[in-house]
Amino acid sequence: MKTFEEKWTAWVDEQLSGRELSEFEASLPDKAAAEAEKAGTLKLGELLKRELSARTLSNEEFFSDQLHENIARFHQATAGQAREARATWWTIPRLLSAGAASLAVFLVFTVVVMHEKNPAEESQYLTQILNARVDPLVSPNATVSIFEVKQDRVTVLWTEGLQSLPSDYAAK
Amino acid sequence: MQTEATLAQADVSELDLVRRCQAGDTEAFDELVTRYRTRVFSMIYNMVHSEQDAWDLAQDSFLKAWKSIKRFRGRSSFYTWIYRIVMNVTIDWLRKKHVKGAGAEFDDATQLKEVDPASKTVPKAEALPYETMERDEIRARIDKAIAQLSPEQRAVILMKEIEGMQYHEIAEALGCSIGTVMSRLFYARKKLQNLLRDVYENI
Repeated sequence: MKTFEEKWTAWVDEQLSGRELSEFEASLPDKAAAEAEKAGTLKLGELLKRELSARTLSNEEFFSDQLHENIARFHQATAGQAREARATWWTIPRLLSAGAASLAVFLVFTVVVMHEKNPAEESQYLTQILNARVDPLVSPNATVSIFEVKQDRVTVLWTEGLQSLPSDYAAK
Repeated sequence: MQTEATLAQADVSELDLVRRCQAGDTEAFDELVTRYRTRVFSMIYNMVHSEQDAWDLAQDSFLKAWKSIKRFRGRSSFYTWIYRIVMNVTIDWLRKKHVKGAGAEFDDATQLKEVDPASKTVPKAEALPYETMERDEIRARIDKAIAQLSPEQRAVILMKEIEGMQYHEIAEALGCSIGTVMSRLFYARKKLQNLLRDVYENI
């Protein structure tokens, strides 16, 4: 469904025909006034065409030269951006490989250190504790208890009633 | 007047130029620019009324055309395609300058319920005899009248009256419907008739 504006424009531009044209013209309350208005629109069109078409580009060659320069500048800028993009993409793999190498070194170091920290056998201190005895002459009421939790690698020597601690019992 | 055969040749040649542009041939683009630079400049000048601004906007339009020439699929003529770019660039520029056109009574959004279909437009300006009016003055009057239109109305009336484009070509260039084009044309003509009746009636 065309609006009145659309029908009027089509009528002025001779784009209405057949039934549409007759219906539109029949809907006009004053056809003579409408025809005068249409003639005015056509005159306006002629005026605009005559006055505004005459405007020209004064320095056409300079216009094209300047456009060439603008296009060249655009290509330079685009090439620069492409180089930057490539440089950026190159740093990303470098960062990734450097990160992977660092992680590998860290893992190797951790495994070696942890491995070294696992005791293969009992230490000399533990042997000394386990062999500890109390001399009944020096400390007749002394008692010695040893608690050992192997999974936690903890050994406790618990003594009570010692009168003195012989110097050769001191932990070395 | 061009025959259909020469028109077809021109179209083929133009399409060939576009294909060469798409392959990066700046000389082919230069040929297209030579064909359209004056019309493009003139169209923009009639919309913005400043030679320097029209020059810059025409440069900008052609540069944008070069940047996006690879996206041209040939579904419309190159002429319509370049006009679409020109109109986008110019209308955006006018909007940034807050050019809206004067008066809301002829805006597209306004319904025309109270307008008598056969009503005559009344000249607002004092009538001057053509003999005493210099050509520059006439042009100044026209420029002033066009400046009263919204950017979209300017585009429509210039493409229709100066370029002789069809409704569907204008619609394509502006990215709107044919109905919108006709509606904008109606209001633009009404307004210009109001402002320029004394000019065209006395010629």
